[in-house]
Amino acid sequence: MAEIVKKKVCMLGAFAVGKTSLIRRYVENMFSEKYQTTIGVKVDKKTVQLGSKAVELVLWDLAGKNGISEMRTTYLRGASGYLLVVDKTRLNTLEVGMDMHKMAQEILGKVPCLLLFNKWDLEGKWDIDDAAIEKLQRDGFETMKTSAKTGQSVNDAFELLARKLVE
Amino acid sequence: MTEASEKKQGMHGALDDELVNLRTLLVSPEQQEIAVLKERLNDPDIRAEELSRVLAEAIVIRASKDKKLAQALLPTIELTIKDSVKKDPKFLADAIFPVIGPAIRKAISESIRSMVQSINETMSYAFSWQGLKWRIESIQTGRPFAEIVLLHTLIYSVEQVFLVHRETGLLLQHVAATEEGIKDVDMVSGMLTAIQDFVHDSFGVSENQVLQSLNVGDYTIWVEQGPQVALAAVIRGNPPESLRAHMEEELEKIEFEQRYCLQDFKGDVAPFALSRHHLESCLMQAKRGIGEAGKTTIPASTAKPARKRSAHDLIWLIIGAGIISLLLILGSVIFQVAGK
Repeated sequence: MAEIVKKKVCMLGAFAVGKTSLIRRYVENMFSEKYQTTIGVKVDKKTVQLGSKAVELVLWDLAGKNGISEMRTTYLRGASGYLLVVDKTRLNTLEVGMDMHKMAQEILGKVPCLLLFNKWDLEGKWDIDDAAIEKLQRDGFETMKTSAKTGQSVNDAFELLARKLVE
Repeated sequence: MTEASEKKQGMHGALDDELVNLRTLLVSPEQQEIAVLKERLNDPDIRAEELSRVLAEAIVIRASKDKKLAQALLPTIELTIKDSVKKDPKFLADAIFPVIGPAIRKAISESIRSMVQSINETMSYAFSWQGLKWRIESIQTGRPFAEIVLLHTLIYSVEQVFLVHRETGLLLQHVAATEEGIKDVDMVSGMLTAIQDFVHDSFGVSENQVLQSLNVGDYTIWVEQGPQVALAAVIRGNPPESLRAHMEEELEKIEFEQRYCLQDFKGDVAPFALSRHHLESCLMQAKRGIGEAGKTTIPASTAKPARKRSAHDLIWLIIGAGIISLLLILGSVIFQVAGK
């Protein structure tokens, strides 16, 4: 009998960074996106197999906001970790992302988090350059480049987060 | 003793003396320190003083390492509470009053709600067409009208029960009456929690007020909340308040049984399987008219034995009366016509 561990994980990010389309194909979904516009969150599930252990990530995909003042922080409660999604073609989504990160750390403390730079498939439309990303890595962020179109790194991102959650 | 051995003994004695002298010369200050320390160790007042300096910190450290301290203190604390109550019950009563107040209020409002529900049911059917039929039934069977109403309306079935960890919204256990259930119960559990958070956030509900019921068409979801977990029952039909009371009881048992697992909960839900039977006991239902299935009780009439007359009799009576009156009218018309 495989060992199963369940974890609540939040997905945060500014408006239209592509969180939902990013994960759509890789998670089990049951609820339509309309829940994000109505109650501001949609719950999906992703099971990651780490050896003999299965980590069941219950994903709370929070509706994208343009500032933390609009963020429903209640939904963060009890999360073991989170994914921060940033649109690499729009610099201000990084600022919003950082604000959300600070807010999340205030509420949850130092929990594992992954910074995802999305829309990596859009060549040439880079608002956020490699130097900025390297600086963030030096600041201690674990980062990854993702794309909903190519599916690049999505499963990797979940696996990495799951690993960090169980160690 | 020979002279030789006497001399030997003397020599030993002298050596011993010399040893003592040597010792004193070398370690006299240390000897004095040791003497002082010995005195301190043996003096209970001094020892108490020393311990008192580190006692609080030691407790904090120990308490953060494991639960042994709590276990060790348990019998003592129990005795202390007993004695305190014996000495002056008011003291403890005042201390727990803030907790008891809401608990008592909740208990009272639950029982009133139970009563009101029965009255409500009865009243809403009293003056309807349905109600009229049931009044007739009540006369025929000899059972009180209220009972007939309850018999016809109290049809429900608990289809699923969820045990949810409140803080994370994670599903701890799930039972269903039938195999075919909803697709993914983990996600449902999360969404249910999200909805509660949403309502709390949006409607300025105070912290200690919790979502208790959701109604959609034929379905009702009842939620009973404890400090750490919540029990949610998906019910089809019209559930009685007694079900809620049962859910409360089972929830309290689960909170107690699983208190250690809940304290250390990090996502491993396997230990909660031990509480499954509590959830299963909530899968109650009541079938139409026949009486009870599962643990529900529809109060049986203990008054007179029911008279076995079916509704058919009444219909034939009316039809018969109709035919007779028709014949009479016909008869009188013919009579009149014939009379002219």
